[in-house]
Amino acid sequence: MSFLAPIWLVLTAAVAVPLFLHLMRRRIDIRREFPAARYLLRAEKENVRRLKLRNLFLMLLRTLVLLFLALAAARPIGALLGSGHVPTALAVVVDNSMSSGAIVDGRPLLARLKATARSMIEGTGANDQSWLLTADGVVTGGARNVVLDALDRLEPLGGRGDIGGAITRAAGLVLAADLPAGTVAVLTDAQASQWPGDVSLGDVRLVAFVPAGRAPVNRAILLADPHPPRWSPKGAVMVGAAGADSVTFRVTLGDRTVARGLLRGSDEQVVRLEPAERGWLAGSVELAPDELRGDDVRHFAVWIGDAPAVQVHPGAGIFAREAVDALVQSGLVTHGQAIEVAPVDAASRLPALLIAPSDPVRLGAANRSLERLGIPWRLADPRRDETVARGAEVEGTAVRFRFPLRSAPGSGASDTLATASGEPWIVAGPDYVLVGSPLATEATALPIRAPFLPFLSNLLSQRLTREGSGLVRADPGAPVRLPAAVTGWERDSQVVAVGEAATAPSRAGVYFLRNGDARVGALVVNPEREESRLDRLSSSELKSRFKAGEVVVTGDPADLGRSAFDASARRPLQAVLLLLALACLVAEMIVVRSAEPRGQRRAA
Amino acid sequence: MPTAAPTRADLIDPASLASLGRIEIVARWVVDGFLTGLHRSPRKGFSVEFAEFRPYQPGDDLRYIDWRVVARSDRWMIKQFEEETNTRAAIVLDVSRSMDWSGSPDRLTKLRYAEQVVAAIALLLIRQRDAVGLVRYDDRLRTVLPPRARTMQWRRIVSALEESGAGPDSRMGEGVQQAARLIRRPGIVIVISDLLVDQGEMEQALRVARAAGHQVTVLHIMDPSELDLDARGEAIFYDPEGTLEVTATVSDVRQAYARTVAHAIEEWRLKLAALGAGYEVIRTDSPFGVPLRRAFATRQRLP
Repeated sequence: MSFLAPIWLVLTAAVAVPLFLHLMRRRIDIRREFPAARYLLRAEKENVRRLKLRNLFLMLLRTLVLLFLALAAARPIGALLGSGHVPTALAVVVDNSMSSGAIVDGRPLLARLKATARSMIEGTGANDQSWLLTADGVVTGGARNVVLDALDRLEPLGGRGDIGGAITRAAGLVLAADLPAGTVAVLTDAQASQWPGDVSLGDVRLVAFVPAGRAPVNRAILLADPHPPRWSPKGAVMVGAAGADSVTFRVTLGDRTVARGLLRGSDEQVVRLEPAERGWLAGSVELAPDELRGDDVRHFAVWIGDAPAVQVHPGAGIFAREAVDALVQSGLVTHGQAIEVAPVDAASRLPALLIAPSDPVRLGAANRSLERLGIPWRLADPRRDETVARGAEVEGTAVRFRFPLRSAPGSGASDTLATASGEPWIVAGPDYVLVGSPLATEATALPIRAPFLPFLSNLLSQRLTREGSGLVRADPGAPVRLPAAVTGWERDSQVVAVGEAATAPSRAGVYFLRNGDARVGALVVNPEREESRLDRLSSSELKSRFKAGEVVVTGDPADLGRSAFDASARRPLQAVLLLLALACLVAEMIVVRSAEPRGQRRAA
Repeated sequence: MPTAAPTRADLIDPASLASLGRIEIVARWVVDGFLTGLHRSPRKGFSVEFAEFRPYQPGDDLRYIDWRVVARSDRWMIKQFEEETNTRAAIVLDVSRSMDWSGSPDRLTKLRYAEQVVAAIALLLIRQRDAVGLVRYDDRLRTVLPPRARTMQWRRIVSALEESGAGPDSRMGEGVQQAARLIRRPGIVIVISDLLVDQGEMEQALRVARAAGHQVTVLHIMDPSELDLDARGEAIFYDPEGTLEVTATVSDVRQAYARTVAHAIEEWRLKLAALGAGYEVIRTDSPFGVPLRRAFATRQRLP
């Protein structure tokens, strides 16, 4: 047995009062004439043993009354008796991930979870502490009505959230509360994809509610990617869906529908577009509504501009010139002076595609040119060895002659697009791409390989185009790193100021990035693809994911409430002690009044 | 169920009745009421030898109305006869300090109550021409009136009742033996006391009285508070006739006390029955008719 208010144990000293009164010699001043005193004396003599026992019994009862009252004031809790539940720290974790918005039996699943959570929170008393935690990391604590208000406002997230983090945090709150009992109650749809690993809670007790029944069949848009990311102005949207049946979809760009189609099973489709708009545009791919609305639409953003104007220096070689001409014919680039394709030593400005010179004697001039252009790379002594390039778009390309690239001291951010013999071969940075070999068949097979044209097109229209570089993708509620120039993002004509490091909104959609009044990019927030898989874990599977002191998984809301507050076998003994005190008082009254004649009892 | 208030004096609350007049007046009311309640007087008290006339009283046997006197004087007169076997009675009254006590101001003290009873018994006996005497005692003999059957005897008795008493002891044995000596032939001895006396001494005296052939009746006068101990709280209870003091909490000993008193009464009853004496417990809140009836019940010579 322990006490919640042990300070009141000082009241137990009051038991000395009846003891003292019993033992002290009473002083009686009242004298009464009574002729039959001889009978009284005889009665006292005959009755003295019984009187002593009775007085001892009365003293004991009165002592017990005071003892029980003092103990009750100290609010004891014990294991054997008691009523209600021991003061409990109850952290209710409601899984409001996107999948909780699924309609099951004509009602959103989240509504069932909320109703169950409400009944649990309403079961808390003045001695309990309760919190509401959600998958988006929001914690609401304090008075019961505050927690219930927060519960009423709860909506499904745009993504999966972090239910594991919420549970871990709930366990921390319960432990920090330092109450006699603590329970973490998890209300979840037990989505299998959401529980990738174990959740460790230490000694905390956990009860989980998983609604009975099977997960509904769900169709979802899983792919809505613009390709390439910057359209000039031609582009395409890659569309893919999940689901066994054929589904119709539509593609919107800006405020209008630009395409419709039919997807069969999990096929992917490419929707080619050449919109008239320019600049950053938001688009989406949508399905007809089904049980889970959150994944029936997927957002994308694209920068649309004119084809880049390219000037090819005569020293760049025949392959470069012919390739650019082919791109011009395809409409992917135009002739102009915006981007220069030139040997390193002949380049005069940026942005530029810089090609290593074919003659080693021009090495010094090339490095001087790099220094002049502010490019933090230098050409090393040439190597003539047969090697194979490693890199996404040039994988397997043979390299015979190359200048290994060396980064200059204090170089800034740059990407290595390909290596040869483990040394940088093609590198890129802001406004430049540097190739470590001349674009000639004697040096490399790159210009005669099939991927060369797409590779070159990508370099010219994506890498070396200044506009449209600010595209950021993020999951709902996930931390996100924004480009340095971004001062805020806009959605629905509202601009929210943000810093470089921010948290993505929990609602899916496109948020244009702003630098002052100018749109400099877009933050695209879409639900995680796994969130569309509604398959559920069984109770035993879910139970095995929790590493806690005690784990109870149930599908019965009433059982959940009982389990949450029966967590500890110890209960408040206050009511029991008060009942015992009352019983002692009644017994004392009976003993006292049994000596009174009936007439006096009625008068009293 | 409501009942009509009694109009007969022998049935009225004794304290209320005593407050209405002096002792002799109250005694007459009581005796008149008592005789009325009998409806019809038995033969006892009337014999063939004429003694005197007296006015008719309700309850008198119509056979003894002298119709010639009625015809002559238009007054209803009763013929009374001198009984040859007149009884001689002595009343022994305890007037010690313990008798001068009441448990409630609404009740008569035991002594006042007993004096009313003595007056009524004496009047009743004298009316039926029995000789009656009185012995009053406390720590000594206070009054000794030899038995007489004259009307003046009753006045003497009433006067004696107004004399002092309340001594610190009860010499009952002496009183009873004195009464036995006063009656020369077998008669009646009526002892009225609260019996807070030495039991052995009293037994001895009663044995002597019984040996002399007297019928003995003991009226044990008790205040209701002595029966029930209806006080409250805790106090030192002291005996006014001695040094005995008992400290007690009433609620603690009430039941034991009631049992003790009941046991004591039963003890008196058995001892006196063994001696051939009648014994009656009379509460001071009982109407005066009760002790009258009980006093003569053992004698079975009601008028």
